[in-house]
Amino acid sequence: MEELRSKNCAVEMYKIIKEFNDVKANDNVDFFVKNGSIHGLLGENGAGKTTLMNVLYGLYHPEQGEICIKGKKCEIPSPTKAISLGIGMVHQHFMLARPFTIVENVMLGRKSRKGFLLDTKETAEELVALANKYKMKIDPYAKIWQLSVGEQQRVEILTALYQGAEILILDEPTAVLTPQEVDGLFETLREMKNDGKAIILITHKLEEILSIVDEVTVLRDGVMIGHVEVDCNTTKSSLTKMMVGRDVLFNFDKSLVEAGAKKLVIKDLKVLNDKNFLALDGFSLDINEGEILGLAGVDGNGQKELCEALTGIRHVESGEVKLDNINIENKPPLFAIEKGIAHIPEDRHITGLALGWSLKKNLIIKTFKANSKFGLIDEKKIEDRWEKAKIAYQIKANSGDDWARDLSGGNQQKVILARELENNPAILIANQPTRGLDIGATEYVRQKILDAKSEGTSVLLVSADLEEILQLSDRIAVIYDGKLMGILPSGSDVKEIGELMMGKKMEVEHDA
Amino acid sequence: MRNKLTKNLNQLLLAIGTIILALLVGAVIISFSGNSPIEAYLSMFNGAFGSKQRFMEVLVKMIPLVIMALGTSVAFKANLWNIGADGQFIMGSIFAIFVTIYSGLPPIIGIPVSIIAAMIGGGLWAGLAGWIKVKFNANEVITTLMLNYIAVYFLSFLVYGPMMDPGGSKMPQTKLIPDAFRLPLFESGNRLHIGIFISLIIVVIMIFFWKSTLGFKIALLGQGEKVTTYSGVSVKKMIVFTMIISGLLSGIAGWTEIYGVQYRLLEGITSGYGSMAIVIALMGGLNPVGILISGFFFSALLVGGATMQRMTDIPFSIVDIVQGLIIIFIIARTAINFKEIKNRIVRRMEHVK
Repeated sequence: MEELRSKNCAVEMYKIIKEFNDVKANDNVDFFVKNGSIHGLLGENGAGKTTLMNVLYGLYHPEQGEICIKGKKCEIPSPTKAISLGIGMVHQHFMLARPFTIVENVMLGRKSRKGFLLDTKETAEELVALANKYKMKIDPYAKIWQLSVGEQQRVEILTALYQGAEILILDEPTAVLTPQEVDGLFETLREMKNDGKAIILITHKLEEILSIVDEVTVLRDGVMIGHVEVDCNTTKSSLTKMMVGRDVLFNFDKSLVEAGAKKLVIKDLKVLNDKNFLALDGFSLDINEGEILGLAGVDGNGQKELCEALTGIRHVESGEVKLDNINIENKPPLFAIEKGIAHIPEDRHITGLALGWSLKKNLIIKTFKANSKFGLIDEKKIEDRWEKAKIAYQIKANSGDDWARDLSGGNQQKVILARELENNPAILIANQPTRGLDIGATEYVRQKILDAKSEGTSVLLVSADLEEILQLSDRIAVIYDGKLMGILPSGSDVKEIGELMMGKKMEVEHDA
Repeated sequence: MRNKLTKNLNQLLLAIGTIILALLVGAVIISFSGNSPIEAYLSMFNGAFGSKQRFMEVLVKMIPLVIMALGTSVAFKANLWNIGADGQFIMGSIFAIFVTIYSGLPPIIGIPVSIIAAMIGGGLWAGLAGWIKVKFNANEVITTLMLNYIAVYFLSFLVYGPMMDPGGSKMPQTKLIPDAFRLPLFESGNRLHIGIFISLIIVVIMIFFWKSTLGFKIALLGQGEKVTTYSGVSVKKMIVFTMIISGLLSGIAGWTEIYGVQYRLLEGITSGYGSMAIVIALMGGLNPVGILISGFFFSALLVGGATMQRMTDIPFSIVDIVQGLIIIFIIARTAINFKEIKNRIVRRMEHVK
């Protein structure tokens, strides 16, 4: 073991075992990161990536194992200790105080150099210098809530750098970014790498591994499967096989459809968001019979509000929505449900499921009236319903009495699918249907959406994942700042979609 | 089925554990006060179960407490913190006695009408808080609490003023209702009345209520407003509805107390039943049978504590302390949320698999 240690290593973790209730989340994992390199940590959800990084960041204490930072053996009992050792972490969910400015956020948790007075100005200057060094543009006095997700991520990275991070852990950093923002992030990361910093990129996206990472460690089921240097011989399929343990075909048979009649017509829709700002500002879109229309866009550009307006959950200020020539805007949610508008909400924990309820009750939260007799819920009927759904949708659970909360994300999503696709809906509105799911579940959900289409359902697929949009959609619409930027045919160029996602209108629109 | 059984058993064991813990900590406090905890608890037990008379008194207390706790549980299940059971109890009582005294209806019609009046009084009072919440987004904890005060002072106004018993010696109470309106007693010389059957019937009704579509919608609201709206159920309507149902049960509780025990309106008629109903509902896990059991326990604690105070030097406040400790432990139980911790571990295990 001794000989493995080299001065060149920023992080060395030996034989890490982390158990949760006798189950090993990390089982004898070895992990090494060189100075001045970008290291990918690849694995499916639940493979133990985040556990391993939480051990490194002092959030978890391993049952066994040894950690060396810059060649020195260390105990890391807390994040404070990790930070003092030069380890920084950018979490998937940002830990920022939203009403505060960037510089105030950076100053949090640190003593001022001016005693009782705040050293805001000095810090801001240092921050700008630091940002420039790594090719990031920021206004230190901007408030967090005004920033885009990409900018917020930059603040997180800057905070870690400002705290003196030499080793930076990024947990799924690209999940929320546009292709252009991803490019910007990668440029920053390369700059940091050239500066001699070690960067650990937790991800399950293979493109990222191939485009930026120098070395990759693959975890599966808590065990280290392999450690590879990324070169021209590394392929997506070899990495996938390591990660999943089998071959995965992400090629779906997309049956081409004739453009049918207009099923859902959205015209000049204006809708407010929760803060009473216009989330949709004159949004128009048609969805044809039997097609999957992919709506691409960076999170928070009005997608959620659109889905809610279409399902009657959100009030429409002006404009109209017609389903088969019937106006459905500003009708109660029940109306949309009865008209056969199925909805996979973005947030399955708060909106899509009653987490503290049993699975079988969750299957009927929209159809409890049809599942009752003399005003009482028909227990036998919902048990049968559950048994059928469990088999048809391969839901992994002990029984229908299990709480929705106790299922994995993928199985929760299957419960929602089982409910929403029950009666061959006229329209399926799927908002980020595979967010946070592992590869197996993602494959499954996408297949089910295609199945629904072949059953005649028109689908509005809202996703920030361009790969998903490209795989499934017959047409691709792009939303930015509450407006439709344009509609592209399937198979369009990612860069072109990306530009629309950044707010550049389609050429055609300019001419018109 | 077995799953459900173990769930209920777990609940019961947890409740018993909470009580034992509260009694143990209470014992420490009693011994600090210079008394013997064993003596205190023995005389308390004896005070509640020592004779048929005392046991029946426990049941007398249990009637309104169980009904009120059931009412409270309806709102709690919808995540609406209706702490105004006292006010709803009072308004129900006022409405009922008003009809009985002033309408002059014969008992055969008058008794059912008085129950309905009690339900309307309690239901309106809670429904008002629900309406204010929907209309002005005012927190129901504050409004129900404030409405309690209004009800208490309105009652004082009535019994000191317009409704004061003209034949009484200026006591703050109304005149007695006629004998024909009073709930029959099991035996003379004992206060236990047939209201005990009413409370048991309501327990059974509530068991079915939670299996009904209305109960389904109320419990769904407790799972969150977003998922409720998403499911096509109107949150605003359900908030008002839930509060009305919650309040009308407390109104019925008031009715049993007036028509079964007091036979008149008087100041301080609720004797703090409302706060006890909250504890009973929570300890019963918001489940009708659980509420029946915990209602019985708390009634025994009340009656036993009163006897203990009479028989020994140990003050009744021991009962308050034990009650307070139980509240603290229940809250701690929710705050620590063992279930959530267990879930996390289970989830982690599944991930690793």
